[in-house]
Amino acid sequence: MKKNSAGMHLTDSKRKPFVIGYIFRRLLIMVIMILLVSTMIFLLFRTMPGDPTASMVDPSIPQEARQALLERYGLHESLWTQYKIFMGDLLRFDFGTSYFYNRPVSRVIGDRLPATLILMLTAMLFAYIIGVFGGAWMAWKRGTRLESAGVAFSLVFRSAPTFWVGLMVIMLFAVRLGWFPAQGMRSTGYEGTTFGEIFLSLDFLRHLVLPALTAGLYFLATPTLIMRNSMLEVMSEDYIEMAHAKGLPERRVLYRHAARNALLPVVTAGALFVGAAIGGQVLIEVVFSWPGLGREIVQAVTRSDYPLAQGSFIILSTVVMVMNLIADVLYAFLDPRITY
Amino acid sequence: MKKMVILVVLLTATMVVFGGGRAEQDAADAEMGALVPELTLRSSLPESNLVNYEMAQELSDELAKLGVTLNAQPTDFSVLLDVIYGEEMDYDAYTIGWSGRVERLDPDMFIYSINHSSNANPGGNNTSRYVNPEFDALADAQRSEMDIAARREYVWEAQRILAEDVPRITLYSRSNVQTYNHERFTGLENMSGEGLFNEWSPMVMEAIGERTVPVVASNVNITNLNPFGARSVYDWRNLRLIYDKLVRLSVDVEPTPWAATSWEVVDDTTIDVTLREGMNFHDGRPVTPEDVKFSYEAFMSLPDSYFAAFVQPIDSVELLGNNVIRFNMEYAYAPFITTTLTQIPILPKHIWEGIGDYTQYYNEHPVGSGPFEFVRFRNGEELVATKYEDYFHPVNIDGFVFKIYASPEGVLTDLELGVVDMVSYDLIPAHINQIKDNDGGRYSHLTITEAPDIGFFYIGMNNNRPPFNNKAFRVALSYLVDYDYALDVLLDGYGSRGGAGLVINAANEFWHNPEVPIHNTYNPERARQILAEAGFTWDSQGRMRMPLE
Repeated sequence: MKKNSAGMHLTDSKRKPFVIGYIFRRLLIMVIMILLVSTMIFLLFRTMPGDPTASMVDPSIPQEARQALLERYGLHESLWTQYKIFMGDLLRFDFGTSYFYNRPVSRVIGDRLPATLILMLTAMLFAYIIGVFGGAWMAWKRGTRLESAGVAFSLVFRSAPTFWVGLMVIMLFAVRLGWFPAQGMRSTGYEGTTFGEIFLSLDFLRHLVLPALTAGLYFLATPTLIMRNSMLEVMSEDYIEMAHAKGLPERRVLYRHAARNALLPVVTAGALFVGAAIGGQVLIEVVFSWPGLGREIVQAVTRSDYPLAQGSFIILSTVVMVMNLIADVLYAFLDPRITY
Repeated sequence: MKKMVILVVLLTATMVVFGGGRAEQDAADAEMGALVPELTLRSSLPESNLVNYEMAQELSDELAKLGVTLNAQPTDFSVLLDVIYGEEMDYDAYTIGWSGRVERLDPDMFIYSINHSSNANPGGNNTSRYVNPEFDALADAQRSEMDIAARREYVWEAQRILAEDVPRITLYSRSNVQTYNHERFTGLENMSGEGLFNEWSPMVMEAIGERTVPVVASNVNITNLNPFGARSVYDWRNLRLIYDKLVRLSVDVEPTPWAATSWEVVDDTTIDVTLREGMNFHDGRPVTPEDVKFSYEAFMSLPDSYFAAFVQPIDSVELLGNNVIRFNMEYAYAPFITTTLTQIPILPKHIWEGIGDYTQYYNEHPVGSGPFEFVRFRNGEELVATKYEDYFHPVNIDGFVFKIYASPEGVLTDLELGVVDMVSYDLIPAHINQIKDNDGGRYSHLTITEAPDIGFFYIGMNNNRPPFNNKAFRVALSYLVDYDYALDVLLDGYGSRGGAGLVINAANEFWHNPEVPIHNTYNPERARQILAEAGFTWDSQGRMRMPLE
C-alpha cells in the first residue's frame, strides 16, 4: 500500500540534511522575492495620484514651505535616485521615517503590531479550535440536519459584513447586557506600561472578548469547511474502514485516525492566515476602536505616507512568505509521505 | 427593391431639408460669441463630504438647463489640494472649505490670505485667482492698521467688494454641534470654532459627581507631541493645555493677558510684552523671558511649520529687562496680538536648545508651563494629563483624558454607556437626531449644544478662465445654488446659510458686515436674466455662448 511504501524511507538520519538544504534554497528565493515585491510596492505608490505633501501640511502654509518639505523627504529627487536610496535603506532594515508621524516607521508599526496580532491570533485560535473539531464532527454527521445547520452557521458569519456583526455584538453584549466594554483595548486611565501589565490584565481580556468573537466568527468558515471536506475524503480511505472493523470506539476513529490525517490543508490555510492577520481586519478595528495596524495601513495609503505604507506592505509580504515556508516544512513532519 | 429606393429618396430629402436648415442655423450661430467651454467641477467624494458632493451634482443639473456642460467630478481631498495648489493651475472649479479655527476670527485669513492678488500665484491661498487692485488696497490697509475701529472700516468695505465681485460662492457653514454628559459636568460653553472642550473649559466647567477628570472623545488620532511638528490645529490643540501662551482669546474673542500680564503697542512695528512673574515649567524650572525669546525665535527659524504664518512678520525679539520682551516687526501687522501672541507656545529653553532639528524630535514627554501636566500618550488610544498644582490660575478639574475613537458610532455607544463625558468634534446630523429623539431614554444624560461656525464651504472658480473670468457669469451662478437645500435638507438645519462672496459670516459678530447685500437666493430665472443682460446668448441648439467682445 501507498502509505507503507512511503513510510519506509522515513529514516530521520537521511531526511534532515535535505530539509536544511531545502530551507536554504527557499530562503534565497524569498530574499529575491522580497526585493522584487519592494520594487513593485515602491513604484505602485509613486504612480498613485496625490501629492504626499498635501496630507503633511496645512493648506495655508506657503508654497516655499511645501517645497522645503519635498526636499527634506527627498521627494524632489528623480525616481531612480529615490529608488536607490529606498533599496539601500531597506538592505539595512531601515524603513525610513513616516512623513505623517515624523517617527521611524519601525516604531510606528511596532506600537501597533502587538494589538493587532493578539486580536487576530485570539480570533484565529477560536476559529481553528472550533473549526477543526466542528468540521471533523460535521463530516462524521454527514447528511444529517446537524451538519447542514453547522454549514449554514459558519457561512452566515462568513457572508455577513463584519462591521454589522460587530455592531450587533456591541449592541447585545455591551449595551443591552453590559457584560463587556464596547470600545478600545483598555479602560480609560489604565496604567500598565510593561507588556505583561497591558496584555495579561483582566481589563485587557475583557476588552478583547467582543472583537475577537466578531473576528473569530468571521474566520470560522475557512477551517470548518476545509476540515469537513478533507475529512470526507479521508473517511473513504481503507484504513478508516479497517479501524471500524477492529471495533474501535467511534470517537477514537474520528479524532485519532481520521482527523489527524485530514489536518494538512487546514495547516496550509492557517499559515497563510497568520500572514494576512498582520494586516488585521480593518473594519473590526474601526468598529471596536481597536488601536491596531490595519487602520494605520489604510490611513498611510490615503495620506500618501509612502515610508509607512511601504514598510507595512513589505513586512506583510515577508510574513506571508515566511509562514508559507513554515507550512511547507511542517508538512514534512505531519505527513511522512512528503520529502524534499 | 422599390421600397428601398423610396426609403433612400426620403432619407436624402430629409437630410437636405434639415441639413440646409442646420447650415443656416450654423451661420446664425457663428455671429454669436464663442461657446461656453465644457467645464469640470472638482467636488468631494461622497464619503468625505456628502453635502459638497450633492451640491456639485445639483449645480451641474442647473447649468445643463442653461446649456452649459459642467461635469461634477468627485475628487479625493489630497488630489484636490494637489490640483488647486499645483504649479499648472489647471482647473475650472472645485468645492472645498476653510475650517473655522479661533485664530481665523481675525479677518486677516479670510480677507487677505485667500483673496489678495499676491497669493494668486501657484501654491498661494487665493485659489480663486481673484485679482482686484481696489480690493488689494483695502486688504493691505486692514493688515497694517493698528486701530481696531479703523481696521474694521477697511474689513467691512473689503466684504462689500467681495460680495459684488463674487470670486467664490459660499455654499454653507456647518454648526459646531457637540454634546456632554450633564450628570457629570456643568458650566460648559460651546465656543465657535473651538467646541465644548476648549482652552477655557477647565476654568469654567464643574464636576458634579465623583468623576473630576473628564473623558473627552475624539474621532481624530493625535499624530504629534511636538509643537514644531504640528501640521494642523488637530495636532496642536491637545497640547495647548500643556504648553502655555502669552495671550489667550476670551470666549468673546477678546485678547486676554495670560502668561503675559500686559502688552503695549509702542509704535506700529514695536510691541512690548510683560511676562507674568513666578511661573514654573512642569519640571520645576522657572519660566523666563529667555524661554519666550527662544520659543519665538525657534518658530521663526522654521518657515514650514504650522505656526510659520503667525511669526512671519516678526523681525527680531529683544529682552529689555524687568520681564519685558520687545517684538520688532518687519511691517505693521494688526493681527499680531490676536493671532500671533495667542498661538505660539512657550517652550522650555533648557530642554529644546540642545536639540538640533526641532521638527525631527519626537518629544516623548512634553514639558510645558500650562494648566495641565502631561502624563502619557498611547497612539490610537488616549492622551492623559493631570492638573498642574503650581498654576497661577484656578482650574476646576483634576485632569483630562483625550480618548481616541475610530468611528463616531463608537463614541455614541460610549456616550450612552457613560464611558466618555463629552465629544470634541462636531456630531453628524444622524447622531444629533438620534440623541434628540432619545429613544428609550438612553440619552437623557446628554445635553446638545450648538455654536455657529465661522468657517465655510464653497465653490471655488478659476477667475482666470472663461467663463469664470466674467463677473456676470459668477453672479448668475450664485443664483443657481439652492442654499436652502444645502442647509435644511443636507445639513438638517445644523448650519448657516452661504452666499456669493461671503467669507466672514454673522457668527463672527465683530468683523461681519451686516449691511452688505449678498446674492444668496436660488432663482434660475434671475440667473438667466443676469446672463442675458451681460450679453450671453443661446444658439439654435440651446447652448450658451459667451458675450461678443
